[in-house]
Amino acid sequence: MIIRRVGRGLLTVVAILVSLLFLLPVLWLVASTFRSSTETFASSSPLNWNVLWPKEFTLVNLESAVNSGFMTALSNSLLVAVVTVIVGLGISAAAAFALAVIPFRGRTVTFSIVVLSFLVPFEAIAIPLSRSFSDWGLTNTLIALILPGLGNGLAVFTMRQFFLGVPHSLSEAAHLDGANWFRVFWSVYLPLTRPALIGAGLILFLFQWQAYLWPILVTSRQELDLAPVAIAKAFGAFTTDYGRVFAETAILAIIPAIVLLALQRYFVTSVASTGSKE
Amino acid sequence: MSTTMQRAQRHTSVARRNTLAAIAFLAPTAILIIVLRIVPAISAVRDSTHSGLPGSLAEPEFVGFDVFARLFASDSFWQSVRQTLFFNVLVNPIQIFLALVLAVLLTRNLPASGLWRTLIFLPSAVPLAGSTIVWGIALRPDGPVNGMLELLDIPRQPWFTSPDQVILALIVLASWIGIGYWMMFLIAGLNDIPTVYYEAARIDGAGALRTFFSVTLPMLRRPLLFVLVADTVANFVLFAPIQILTNGGPEKQSNLLMYDIFHTSYELSDPYTASAELVVLLLIMIAIVVVQFRLLGSSDGEE
Repeated sequence: MIIRRVGRGLLTVVAILVSLLFLLPVLWLVASTFRSSTETFASSSPLNWNVLWPKEFTLVNLESAVNSGFMTALSNSLLVAVVTVIVGLGISAAAAFALAVIPFRGRTVTFSIVVLSFLVPFEAIAIPLSRSFSDWGLTNTLIALILPGLGNGLAVFTMRQFFLGVPHSLSEAAHLDGANWFRVFWSVYLPLTRPALIGAGLILFLFQWQAYLWPILVTSRQELDLAPVAIAKAFGAFTTDYGRVFAETAILAIIPAIVLLALQRYFVTSVASTGSKE
Repeated sequence: MSTTMQRAQRHTSVARRNTLAAIAFLAPTAILIIVLRIVPAISAVRDSTHSGLPGSLAEPEFVGFDVFARLFASDSFWQSVRQTLFFNVLVNPIQIFLALVLAVLLTRNLPASGLWRTLIFLPSAVPLAGSTIVWGIALRPDGPVNGMLELLDIPRQPWFTSPDQVILALIVLASWIGIGYWMMFLIAGLNDIPTVYYEAARIDGAGALRTFFSVTLPMLRRPLLFVLVADTVANFVLFAPIQILTNGGPEKQSNLLMYDIFHTSYELSDPYTASAELVVLLLIMIAIVVVQFRLLGSSDGEE
């Protein structure tokens, strides 16, 4: 009994230490956001506690991030991500519904084709696709930034799993009442599978919030820069003044962090649906 | 007789209505697959079998497999393949092993385990470009990581600036993001294992280690393989850290395939060789994705 309790105590200590190890870079990012850039490396060598707690707090970095046009990039990112989530959810939910609920010949094959084609990572075809986009005159447009995020195999897959869990009797009853497939989809299935929608929405959101290669391929005008691109440019331009870069990175990271903290359990349920349930 | 025919007729009309509905529901997705996957794949294959002078107005001419032949004869291509494989052979097992250890640890009902999970998961919320910059600065020679090593009496390390350590530095960066992310998948997998198996193991007097190897590991096989394959897909096309921090260097040691394709296409203005490389990458990705798809658990038993 005592051995068990000591073991549990030890494991808890390990869990705390590992969590802190993962947290350290975040704490350092936050501390570096609030200290002047001349102090960035001052406490690193020799290392002291001020590395995680600035001697003097300053808002200079945040101000310079706000004044440098980073907010334009951030609002571009937000716009692209929000439109992607709304339109992408509609498209993926419709596909998932057809693949889970509507009986038709070739459904299994169609399902395999849909999920397989979207599992191929987007980066792998981004370069030839960007050439087609420029042929189609889509370079430097918001549509070009949004379009690739709309099709997501994991979103279709997790929603289909949830739709399969809805009892058939519900759609049969709706059909007897004279409802067509769209009504069944809209008023029976969607309201019942809100957790799946939120989980899939998160997957779509995180994809766009991360986007880096694609935006540099299809945009060249600074006013269309997405936030990750703007940060990378600032990082390349100021090799000695990291204060602004830290502030911008902190702003870029805090949005998905809040979203994920608030909606973590939905993410977990979607993730769980990828597991085997034989 | 006539009622059977009527029933059969009604049956075909229902089937036709269902098919039409399915087509309508799937149409936007089908368009996306054609535009975003099939068209670029075809144009990659087309470009890889053509050749032309950079900037020339003449139509590129069909050269068959010449570009591939030249690509396969190039040392720099094979070096890029080698480094990509080297990076992946290390980073994926390391990440999944640590993710598994943490998933097991954090499903043992320790106090506040939800909090520790969230903290370990948090880094995957930071967009890759952001975490790249944080680690790029943290691993500078005068940065805090080397400051920590000095406290432990270990000399400062060059990390991203050394040909011998650049892959290691990329592994640290990718793992900080990946471990927590895949840990969440494995926690979900662990929670799916019915508790009766653990009770049976306890009645048999199996210790913690025995239980892990004879219950947890076999029951977790599918989710474990799934995250390993999905992680490999993600790391195979790693791009942002290399473009932002190393440009493939030093001494081309971090010139992984995805970056090399980008570099060949845009900085060397050779879209033909880049397309041939891309076709190779695409074939590898498709092979891995087929495995990944088969590992996705399907709950309707159709397959």
